[in-house]
Amino acid sequence: MITNEELSLTRDALKYALAKGASQVRLTLAKSKEDLVATLNGEVDRVTSCLDRSLSIALFVDGRFGSFSTNKITEDGLKDFIDKAIGMTRMLAPDQFRKLPALERCCSEAVTGNELGLVDPEYTNVSPEDRKRTALGASVYGKEGSEDCRIVSEEGEYSDSIYDTIILDSNGLECRHTENSFDYGVEVTVEHEGEKYSGYWWESSSRAGQLDLSSCGRKAFEKAVAQIDSDAMDSGKYNMVIDSEVASKVVSPLLAALSAYSIQQNNSFLIDSLGKRIFPEGLTIMDRPHIKGQTCSKLFDSEGVRTQEGPIIEKGVVKTYFVNTYMSGKLGMEPTVEEATRPCVLPWPVAGLDRDAILGKCSEGILVTDFNGGNCNSATGDFSYGVEGFYFKDGKIRQPVSGMVVTGNFLRLWSGLIAAGDDARPCMSKLIPTLAFADVDFSG
Amino acid sequence: MTDRFGLDSNQLQSIVAEGMRGGGDWCDLYFEDTSYCDLLLRDSEVSSGGFHVDYGCGIRVLKGDRTGYAYSETCDLPSLLGAARSAACIAQSGAQAGKAFAATPLRRPGNDFYPMKEDWRRADAASFVEMLRRLDADIRSRDSRVLKVVAMLSYSTSQILMYNSLGELTEDFRPLGSVSVTVVFKQGEQIEKNSVSRSLRMGSEMLSAEVFGDLASRAVAGLDERFAARRPKGGKMKVVMGAGASGILLHEAMGHAFEADFNRKGQSIFSDRMGSRICRKGINIIDDGTLCASRGAVNYDDEGVPGQKTYMVEDGVLSSYLHDRISARWFGVAPTGNGRRESFRYNPIPRMRATYMESGSDGTLQDLIGSVDKGIYVDQFSNGQVKIGEGDFTFYVKSGFLIEKGRLTMPVKDINIIGNGPQALADIEAVASDLRIDEGTWTCGKEQSVPVSCGIPSVLIKNLTVGGE
Repeated sequence: MITNEELSLTRDALKYALAKGASQVRLTLAKSKEDLVATLNGEVDRVTSCLDRSLSIALFVDGRFGSFSTNKITEDGLKDFIDKAIGMTRMLAPDQFRKLPALERCCSEAVTGNELGLVDPEYTNVSPEDRKRTALGASVYGKEGSEDCRIVSEEGEYSDSIYDTIILDSNGLECRHTENSFDYGVEVTVEHEGEKYSGYWWESSSRAGQLDLSSCGRKAFEKAVAQIDSDAMDSGKYNMVIDSEVASKVVSPLLAALSAYSIQQNNSFLIDSLGKRIFPEGLTIMDRPHIKGQTCSKLFDSEGVRTQEGPIIEKGVVKTYFVNTYMSGKLGMEPTVEEATRPCVLPWPVAGLDRDAILGKCSEGILVTDFNGGNCNSATGDFSYGVEGFYFKDGKIRQPVSGMVVTGNFLRLWSGLIAAGDDARPCMSKLIPTLAFADVDFSG
Repeated sequence: MTDRFGLDSNQLQSIVAEGMRGGGDWCDLYFEDTSYCDLLLRDSEVSSGGFHVDYGCGIRVLKGDRTGYAYSETCDLPSLLGAARSAACIAQSGAQAGKAFAATPLRRPGNDFYPMKEDWRRADAASFVEMLRRLDADIRSRDSRVLKVVAMLSYSTSQILMYNSLGELTEDFRPLGSVSVTVVFKQGEQIEKNSVSRSLRMGSEMLSAEVFGDLASRAVAGLDERFAARRPKGGKMKVVMGAGASGILLHEAMGHAFEADFNRKGQSIFSDRMGSRICRKGINIIDDGTLCASRGAVNYDDEGVPGQKTYMVEDGVLSSYLHDRISARWFGVAPTGNGRRESFRYNPIPRMRATYMESGSDGTLQDLIGSVDKGIYVDQFSNGQVKIGEGDFTFYVKSGFLIEKGRLTMPVKDINIIGNGPQALADIEAVASDLRIDEGTWTCGKEQSVPVSCGIPSVLIKNLTVGGE
């Protein structure tokens, strides 16, 4: 997708920046195309076509660092842009720790961009009519619902896209990542006795042929209907089971707390945790960025550093921080990668548990199927989130729950881990299965 | 300004004609040239920063209520004609043509809501570096528990040109400056943090001693309480919301549900309730694009409609939704100037601007607190969210106090509050006379990010669910 002419302009920009006084330079050229058909109540509502291109430039000048970007990518325009960028960088304070990653840490295997098999040869054959047919074909408007539970609105969006990124730096790095994505999401709103309830479902794949839309609308409809007559339970401590669809909500803050940026700024509840058993033995999070054909797999991070397959947390022990080149210098730590690429929570205590099996194992509690706002204090790990879902007893769903808040601290929450399932959806960027925790504070 | 985008009026007409060629009943062009600059202070040095350029044109074609949209990052005629043809394909979707759009009312002379004495583009950025250093020193001098300070100054200017199939040409120049500060404190082994910000649509003169002094003061305010704060016992209780940032209640609980696209599609909990009483008499809720220098101010919205002040609730009765051109035509009313977008990459949709409630007549904040036997007082917030159909909203409270027998007692922090929009509106028991508009860096994330602001006088709500242990 990135043309030879655009690549040539980028290489020339790198040389120009060096000639104008930069000691090191990194350029990231990103290009993407997305075509989308949105439907409303079974009819085409919106058609969009997007083509984006941007060039990001990291400049290291006289021991100083600046970060710039533009989408005006012409030869003269770039020269003028780089002149101004170098001028601004010289205005900033020196920082001895700013430098490019050593070339031996960087990725040399990403040459064509398709090493991970994320480009679908069928992509270029998708026509506007195909998109329209796909979007309309997935609609369930007029097909689901009943007299006392009618669909008042169904909004669907089908899109296909391609992303192409090349990183070049003045150490000689040149790596490329290209990925297709085919996506469909649908929100159904139903009305029952004057009250409205909505449900959402989505599917995504890097292969057009693997995008199965046949049950999307029905799942969204069923999620909406399942909430009818929902209410808050009494406040108190409950087992909390979190559906795999939304379970990343309790994993993302852990990954953020392992970022060297957060640790250097004392804005992390996992300071001084490296190599220590902080979590229960049941928690293992692996980074698996090299799985071929899987969405979000990637061979390099935003610095061009080679990503690694390996443990982030293993049997409760923190095995790595995410330390980029800059933070490595600031903290005096060995560099790793900028962030987790494709984190995956492993099953525990046994493989093969799905949501129903975990409900049975917990017997009674609240199954959380969606979060409604809330936040986490990154310095302390204290959190409070709005939730909705279902009360379950004897392993069976009994009644829908809404209007409740779950409150706690992430270290305490994870210490109560009951089980991690084996049912993460492969289309998600974080492979987090259904999770279950004991004695969680719910307010309602 | 057409020079900036390299096109003359004949070429603008030819692009619109191309968009309309397939049978569309409306076409508009949105040209944008934005320059964004940021400077980051960390570890007492401004050692990173940069600028970013975003340039292009979005082309929208309407056929009835349906939208075709495409954009180009190069503004030469062939590229724009190609984008117009892509957008025009919506006309083949089988939609019925809509009623003709009426001419847009003219902006009143002098209605410039972005005061700018000093243009950011000509400002001396080196002086900003020094300002951030002084801010860092000021904050550190105020409390020995300050461990880390991260301060960011960001500013942007956007040159906007809009042209539509009525032949209306509109230009706008939009400055926006923001300073945000996060401070990490340490007391013994305990770590706490606080974040404050100011954001205004004005020139670089906004970087005054008053603004920096205010930020430094607020960054370290209430520290003893912050270290002493605990989680309250959760449950349903009376909530007193302090003036200013509590306006997030209006944004999440009501504002989104008043956006007309949700109502046009029948999704909002307020659909079909126009003209109904939704809260007690005397309450007025407004969405306002005319607050001078506010982050939510708009001289024109992103469809070329002049900024205006819209009463959503008048004397307790739902009186207007927030409209873009599509919904206004659908409801048969005039657009309210709420058609907004993140950038030329997005089609405009109904969005809030500065949303607030007018002052009431139920006394002061102390009167409200004094009337509560058991409840909670909240005054600092971060993110919020709403489910449009159900009306369930939530917002996160960074700090507040328990209220016991009419007095503030134990400080509280890090709790989520949840409620239902129509119920919360109906449950407002008292409104103080202390309206304040918050000037923080509020950004609304409905599909696209746009700057907004919010405000409210102190209010007492009968019953909300408060997270706790």
